[in-house]
Amino acid sequence: MKKTLFVTILFIAGILNLSAQVDRTKSPKPAAAPKVVVGAYQMFELPNGLKVIVVENHRLPKVDYTMVYEYDPIVEGDNQGFVDLAGGLIGKGTATRTKDQINDEIDFIGASLNFGASGLSASCLKKNNEKLLEIMSDALINAVFNQTELDKLKKQSTSGLAASKKEPETISDRIARSLMFGKQHPYGGSITEKSIESVNLEMCKDFYKNYIRPNISYMAIVGDINFAEAKTLITKYFSDWQKSEIPKFNYPVPTIPSTTKVAFFDRPASVQSLVKICYPVSLKVGDADFIKAKVTNTILGGGTFRLFNNLREKHGYTYGSYSKLNPDRLIGSFMASAEVRNSATDSATHEILYEMKRMREEKVPADELTLVKNYAAGTFALSLENPQTVANFALNIERYKLPKDYYQNYMQQITAVTAEDVQEVAKKYILPENSYLVVVGKAADVAKPLARFSKANTVEYYDFDGNLFNPVKKQKPAPTGVTAASVIENYLNAIGGRKNLEKLADMTITMSTSMQGMNITIKQVQKAPNKMMIDIGSGGMSFSKQIFDGTKGAMVSQMGNQELKGKELEDMKYQAIMNIEQNYGKEGIKTELKGIEDLNGKEAYAIELTYPGGNIETEYYDVLSSLKVKKVTPDGQTDFMDYKEVNGFKYPYTIQQDMGGQAMKLTVESIEINTKVDDSLFKI
Amino acid sequence: MIKRIHLLFLIFLLLPAGILMAQGNKINFVEYDLPNGLHVILHQNSSVPVVAVTILYHVGSKNESSDRTGFAHFFEHLMFEGSDNIPRGEFDKYVQSAGGVNNANTTQDRTFYYELFPSNQLELGLWLESERLLHLRIDSTGVETQRKVVKEERSLRYDNQPYGSIIEETFKHAFKVHPYQWTPIGSAQYIDQAKLTEFMDFHAKFYVPDNATLSIAGDINISETKKLVEKYFAGIPKGKSKIQRPTIKEPAQTAEVRDIVLDNIQLPAVIQAYHMPANGTPDSYALQMLTTLLSNGESSRLIKSIVDQQQKALYVGSFPFALEDAGLFIVFGIANMGVTAEDLDKAIDTEIEKVKNELVSDHDLQKLKNQSESEFVSQNSTMAGIAENLSNYHVYFGDANLVNTEIDRYMKVTKEDIKRVAQQYLKKENRVVLYYLPKQEKTEGK
Repeated sequence: MKKTLFVTILFIAGILNLSAQVDRTKSPKPAAAPKVVVGAYQMFELPNGLKVIVVENHRLPKVDYTMVYEYDPIVEGDNQGFVDLAGGLIGKGTATRTKDQINDEIDFIGASLNFGASGLSASCLKKNNEKLLEIMSDALINAVFNQTELDKLKKQSTSGLAASKKEPETISDRIARSLMFGKQHPYGGSITEKSIESVNLEMCKDFYKNYIRPNISYMAIVGDINFAEAKTLITKYFSDWQKSEIPKFNYPVPTIPSTTKVAFFDRPASVQSLVKICYPVSLKVGDADFIKAKVTNTILGGGTFRLFNNLREKHGYTYGSYSKLNPDRLIGSFMASAEVRNSATDSATHEILYEMKRMREEKVPADELTLVKNYAAGTFALSLENPQTVANFALNIERYKLPKDYYQNYMQQITAVTAEDVQEVAKKYILPENSYLVVVGKAADVAKPLARFSKANTVEYYDFDGNLFNPVKKQKPAPTGVTAASVIENYLNAIGGRKNLEKLADMTITMSTSMQGMNITIKQVQKAPNKMMIDIGSGGMSFSKQIFDGTKGAMVSQMGNQELKGKELEDMKYQAIMNIEQNYGKEGIKTELKGIEDLNGKEAYAIELTYPGGNIETEYYDVLSSLKVKKVTPDGQTDFMDYKEVNGFKYPYTIQQDMGGQAMKLTVESIEINTKVDDSLFKI
Repeated sequence: MIKRIHLLFLIFLLLPAGILMAQGNKINFVEYDLPNGLHVILHQNSSVPVVAVTILYHVGSKNESSDRTGFAHFFEHLMFEGSDNIPRGEFDKYVQSAGGVNNANTTQDRTFYYELFPSNQLELGLWLESERLLHLRIDSTGVETQRKVVKEERSLRYDNQPYGSIIEETFKHAFKVHPYQWTPIGSAQYIDQAKLTEFMDFHAKFYVPDNATLSIAGDINISETKKLVEKYFAGIPKGKSKIQRPTIKEPAQTAEVRDIVLDNIQLPAVIQAYHMPANGTPDSYALQMLTTLLSNGESSRLIKSIVDQQQKALYVGSFPFALEDAGLFIVFGIANMGVTAEDLDKAIDTEIEKVKNELVSDHDLQKLKNQSESEFVSQNSTMAGIAENLSNYHVYFGDANLVNTEIDRYMKVTKEDIKRVAQQYLKKENRVVLYYLPKQEKTEGK
């Protein structure tokens, strides 16, 4: 009885005690902060220059290896892909081991060993460590390259490329890199079927010989191994690796776009748009404002923060939206992105840009900054759970010549970041007005409204290879070597040649057409260099004349004379110049070859003309005949057909004009040349 | 490396949650039940000052009804909405502010939540998890937002990705009566139909201590942790009713199922999926060894023969997708350019015939054992991984100590076992074969 009572009292006390203890309304206070220690590393260098970093960690009976070959990135150009293919050939056989032997030996000890163009990675149980090093060093140092293996890799690579053509992220990445860095930069190129095809064994052998060398390489060893043991083994297996002089390269630094541009890839099957805002950034690990920049990007989207909270938690546009600020020794980049349903493409883009602007314009509130700094410091501490993190820190310290205590002080540096710092670096690194908006999605549903995000109010279309094209005009790039000047020169040759054209003093063309059942006659008289008269009439009666006397223009009709002014005069002035194509440069008209377009089954070079007054016209020159076949102006378009020869010159005998939906077909009745036209004809 | 397709993503999709194996150095742990039925597992490891607080609810998409597929996963999203003491949108902020990270995931069989913190924030983790177990609060704003978010998740992972629907299609074709016929992402229409009361009912039924395993690993003091667990979880009432689990058995398949799926892809793919026994059965270990033989490492059968020698595939791999009630042994390949699905299908068949007809060599068996050992050692490299493995072993097999001993089950597999399971399960009438073929459509880009 007593005992029961006692237990009951205890029990009640327990409940009271329990409910008294738990105050669920407030979050519990943290215990004393644990000491965060960034693990130590040790280093040695072989006489051949190989630098080896050792991070001991005996938690699991395993050893992990990574190696980095630190050569200057290479521009691959027409042979894009050869560097990766060469890297892929390492491990495919040595003087004493076939590929199958290497693979079987590695699998037999349950190890992994992967080679690439920029480094290697490997892992094994402690007990198999030496066996792994024996195979690894042989495969790396004594690699034998053969054609069969290259052909296999090329086939794999080509198939991989085909498979990736449907992946939104791959498409976006290719276009974004070509825009940000340019195709002439080592980071801007992407493989194509053609570039893979062009790779030969010599290129791969040369790459291996020139770049895979110990004197530019770092090896990081992490795991159940001690320093002395590591040194003995690496000395034993990697001393035969010969050093050599490594080629060096310098590249111009890619710049940000002067205004924001919209680049679209049409993927008609898309149910989501992949929206990415990106641009190049000059930022290296260890730069003075590197940690500030990291904190700033974290606030924006380096985790489930502003972009995530806005686009996902507030609007439900996406599963997630993030931003990245990637440091790089050559050129870094900024990227903010989200995959959003088609109908939210426009709004989601707006919100990303809004959040980017807000970073620059508003000071981050104190509680938000504290939260993000806590998060950044906390995740730094958590990252130390993986011993590879310590190795990566060591690699950074060595590669980027950081102070030895850089990571010991990292958390303090995070804590020291102020709201002013954040705004200052945001203004430097968050650039909503100077970015590429790259969108992969269903153009028919989502593309149009995106124009407003570009300064020029246009959406530009790109293909899988990062080439600009006009989807309406079915444009494709002109072959290399062809320029606007060469196209125009070919045209001049085709219609008679510059020499003959210079001898043209005057030209009278009589044309006819019918309008609303009435036969109309048009007589156009031109006199070099720049006088013109056009007489429009019917049945011998003149309705109106347009005249340009070399400086002034006028419209003459039954209503009287009217002097031409402004745009009309401007148009007339250029129209009056005899064979103006000879003198585009002299007249200050800029020409730009836009590419090749399909015009009713025939290919033509498109040349954009920009007049000194800002007017833009496009002319089309047939690829085969070199003749001018079309001209498009803001008012309409003109087609030139049925070229015939007249006294050594060629002239189109059918001219089809379409102005504002009004179509008119002009047929040339006669052309007279050098008839000594009198100047009085052009008198105003 | 040469940029290939995102195979890692596919592999991730194909890896069942329960198959994660464990360890090398012994994992010590204590486990006990609170009176309300909550199972608690604690592992202390002071090598780094972090702690993983995890909770596993034994509910997944197989507990859904056919007119509410996707419900369990959708509910997982709602678990971040807040509680009586945590306003909407604050849950993640508590974690971030403490320097931690958190997330959750849902499979056919269970839903798993975790936070990883610096070790001094253990109590915060317990408060957060106990709050949403004790009195989750969901409002209509949160539900509406998450409806949209989950649909975008579905689009991102499945509908807008080449080959994104393979798991969904494979299970749909392989299971006719068991709820494994749908996958955790479910169907968007049902997410729209579910009402607020259904969510609260679901919580009351499945989110109860007697259906949960709290597993904590890291730099903790065991007795202190026990007190804190008591403090936050002991007062939570147990469930009112016994949890009903699906008892329906999928009848044995009697004829080969073949189908074609048209997808927005460039290269054809082949999926062969054979019915296999549930996770943890002796035969599932033999099938696991068989999969290592077929596709683990460059010297494995499928990769060496089909990818390297015959150049028929860009990628090929096999995955024993062993779940709690049943499983599928899946072989998946993407054809190289110019290779048809039929060609690749036949090449896979040829390799499978070999394992059915010939015993593996002693050398090969030893290789499989070495590979399994190596993988086992690597499994317990993080505190979050250890906590999750302990939970899985407890929930699925009733023995958390398999974290240390499961390797013995692999080592017991004989050459004869491998040949036998190949013969028993890898047969035509027991399989589904799907061809993924490119859909004809308007040209892209230009």
